[in-house]
Amino acid sequence: MDEITSVFVTESREQLTALEAALLDLEANAGDPDTLNAVFRSAHTIKGGAGVVECEFIVAFTHVVENVLDKLRNGEIAVSGDLVAVLLSCADHIGHLLDVLEAGATQPNEDLTAEGATILARLQRDWLAQHDDAAPRSGPPSAREEPVSSSGGGAVETDCWHISLRFGPNVLRGGMDPLSFLRYLDTLGRIVHIETLADTLPAAEQMDPETCYLGFEINFASTADKAAIERVFDFVRDECELHILPPHSKLEDYLELLRKLPEDTMRLGEILVRIGALTQTELDEGLREQTPPSTEAEGGEHTPLGEILVEHKVVQPELVEAAVGKQKQVSEKKAAESRLIRIQADKLDKLIDLVGELVIAGASVNLLAGKSGLSDLVEATSLTSRLVESIRDAALQLRMVQIGETFNRFNRVVRDVSRELGKDIELVISGGETELDKSMVEKIGDPLMHLVRNAMDHGIESPENRVAHGKPARGRLELNAYHDSGSIMIEVVDDGGGLNRERIAAKAVERGIIQPGQTLSDTEIYNLIFEAGFSTAEQVSNLSGRGVGMDVVRRNIQSLRGTVEVSSTAGEGSRFAIRLPLTLAIIDGFLVGVGRAAYVIPLDSVVECIELRQDSEGRDYINLRGEVLPFVRLRDMFGIEDVPPPRQNVVVVQYGGLKAGIVVDQLMGEFQTVIKPLGSIFRHIKGIGGSTILGSGEVALILDVQALVQRCAQHEERSAARPQLAAPAKA
Amino acid sequence: MTQIVASGKQAVSAKQAAGDDSPQQYLTFSLGGEVFALGILNVKEIIEFGNVTEIPMMPAFIRGVINLRGAVVPVIDLSARFGGKASTISRRTCIVIVELESEDGKQDLGVIVDAVNEVLEIPRTEIEPPPSFGAKIRADFIKGMGKVEGRFVIILNIERVLSTEEIAMLARIGDDDGSTANAE
Repeated sequence: MDEITSVFVTESREQLTALEAALLDLEANAGDPDTLNAVFRSAHTIKGGAGVVECEFIVAFTHVVENVLDKLRNGEIAVSGDLVAVLLSCADHIGHLLDVLEAGATQPNEDLTAEGATILARLQRDWLAQHDDAAPRSGPPSAREEPVSSSGGGAVETDCWHISLRFGPNVLRGGMDPLSFLRYLDTLGRIVHIETLADTLPAAEQMDPETCYLGFEINFASTADKAAIERVFDFVRDECELHILPPHSKLEDYLELLRKLPEDTMRLGEILVRIGALTQTELDEGLREQTPPSTEAEGGEHTPLGEILVEHKVVQPELVEAAVGKQKQVSEKKAAESRLIRIQADKLDKLIDLVGELVIAGASVNLLAGKSGLSDLVEATSLTSRLVESIRDAALQLRMVQIGETFNRFNRVVRDVSRELGKDIELVISGGETELDKSMVEKIGDPLMHLVRNAMDHGIESPENRVAHGKPARGRLELNAYHDSGSIMIEVVDDGGGLNRERIAAKAVERGIIQPGQTLSDTEIYNLIFEAGFSTAEQVSNLSGRGVGMDVVRRNIQSLRGTVEVSSTAGEGSRFAIRLPLTLAIIDGFLVGVGRAAYVIPLDSVVECIELRQDSEGRDYINLRGEVLPFVRLRDMFGIEDVPPPRQNVVVVQYGGLKAGIVVDQLMGEFQTVIKPLGSIFRHIKGIGGSTILGSGEVALILDVQALVQRCAQHEERSAARPQLAAPAKA
Repeated sequence: MTQIVASGKQAVSAKQAAGDDSPQQYLTFSLGGEVFALGILNVKEIIEFGNVTEIPMMPAFIRGVINLRGAVVPVIDLSARFGGKASTISRRTCIVIVELESEDGKQDLGVIVDAVNEVLEIPRTEIEPPPSFGAKIRADFIKGMGKVEGRFVIILNIERVLSTEEIAMLARIGDDDGSTANAE
């Protein structure tokens, strides 16, 4: 795939996202002209781009869609749910066509073609055909709009548009092919006559093959309006000089045009005669008269050009409006674009890797400086390490993206699914500005999709059912994101019936996941839904209920070093909370030592450190200022067989609102930790989140505090439960 | 049965890897008095034993991880993996870094051996099929028996010996000590 095509595909996908958002918006506020314009603009940009990359199948499809949008914009048809649904499926179809283009195929396969044909037929039947007789589609503006009439006897005889086009020198360098614009123009009407102007073409030895020297005078027969013709040249708008004269324009306008164009008036005049825009008599007459243009403009001092043109009935008022609006849009878009740079993700990853190496190298320099005892050196290295820290933060920031975009995708999902299920569901999004690592954003989409679909299908009840339970008929689904002590929380909350404890337990027994009579807490029961092959829906719908979802959700989230928890209140709804680490690459760590090994505890979870008092032998909790603080002895947990030193320390850690202690030998201070994954053979390990390389070159393990404490708790629970329970479920 | 089929497949792939009939090169090393061979194409480098960081809660044959120029590489104790006792570290103990293709791309693994001997060419005609028993290690770990100077060396099927899937599974069992299904 060449570069232009790939740019086209990327940009078109963005346009599609915008299109979808605008369509959903349109459904909510029908008839809002801004939204309508946004829809139209997106569709048109895609079509224009497709014309430039000469992708016929996209042009053909989008063209029809645009026709419908055009009618919509002209108020010939009204916005309805059905129409939006069809337009959304059009957007999907364009997406599929882009896939085809991206895959390098020249034509979509049969299935896709058939799908496209079905959608088009539907558009044609329901929205295009029925109105065609009532209002003929976009005739030339002069024919449809009364105010623009070619007043006076100066009207010229031709009924074609006249387009004067001078491509700028940089058009070719910008990757645009002038011919493809002409070819695309041809799809709007018929080029009656075209004359190429090669006046600026220098002698062969001076000619730069990358510079475009060409200009065109085109006599163009079309029923499209001026804006439509102008839009053909959207992509080279800044790079070319474009003059369009409507059919039956005044002779004066032609003369004005002649004066404006850089070429010699006489020569141009001849060309205009040749392509049939003017007759020789008209030209002679015009040149003889040489009426100064817009004399009135000199009188009405500051009258803007647009108004003058309107006064002269040269252009339609709405054209001026459109032009002004367009200028505004273009400048806004440019402002937004100038704030963004597209970078290939692998370049960024390379940078982050290098920063990671820099952090490790810096740590070893610090270590050596500390050993050397030279105070100047220590000072210099501490300055460097502070800078390295800032570089690290800045580099990581580069990869952070807002989660809002991912959330917004769900507007469409919720709309479609709620329709399909016959439920009325409102999606409330908060915290869309929360930033997280790009690679995580990409991977969190699927699990979220499962959760949202599940919540809609199983969670939220049918409207009748809701009303019967005294709840508003409209269900509410929330997507929230926020920061919580060094992690990012993403919640999917519904106000449905909640999880059915009994049913889950019964199912779990039936599936042999738990033993009958086994007592489990509510949380444990709810978490059973994440087991493979578990689904309690009595009916399997095509949305969910096949029981393949939830365990995949948990696995995906775990692969991001995250966790997912569910809480639920019967009759009030359930809440799925996903906890994700802030970044995947580098964290601030707290280095501790047990025996000869060093471990890193993520600093975000560390609250304080205290000394473990001697009298704590035999029990695993301490009194922390009147609070009971349970702790984990890392030495016992990890089976390190040596004699503990006389003095041990407790690192108090916090996660998800809970506090616990971790008993270690030494506290070795803060440490910038570059996370190195432990490889797939350790993927089932619990309590260790990864590894890092210390300044000395040794590998230290990073503790996963939450998993560690949970593991310890389970361990204890099990050994406590063993005497009563003959056989634990799945030992 | 399945093993015969599997080893047949292996022979084919070994042939393809070596290209035509050219003899393949093998790295030989000793481990607990026995001589083993390993296809040279899998061997990335050989380093001195040292600085292995233990991973807690793992079965004995996973010795730990090392820092290999900035990458964290797991180290497997081959002797323990074959069901024997853990290797004792001596002056000649080495870590052979082996590169393997797995589902998630290439992966490096370190293997502890008692001593590295030499690189040998063993012609295909000199390789016998593995015995169904008697080699004291699992038959599917053996790709063939190479005849070198009248002695047999065991040519390892390193993809099986260091199967990430299997090791991860064993690691999980070692770690799990009876966690219930609703764990987490």
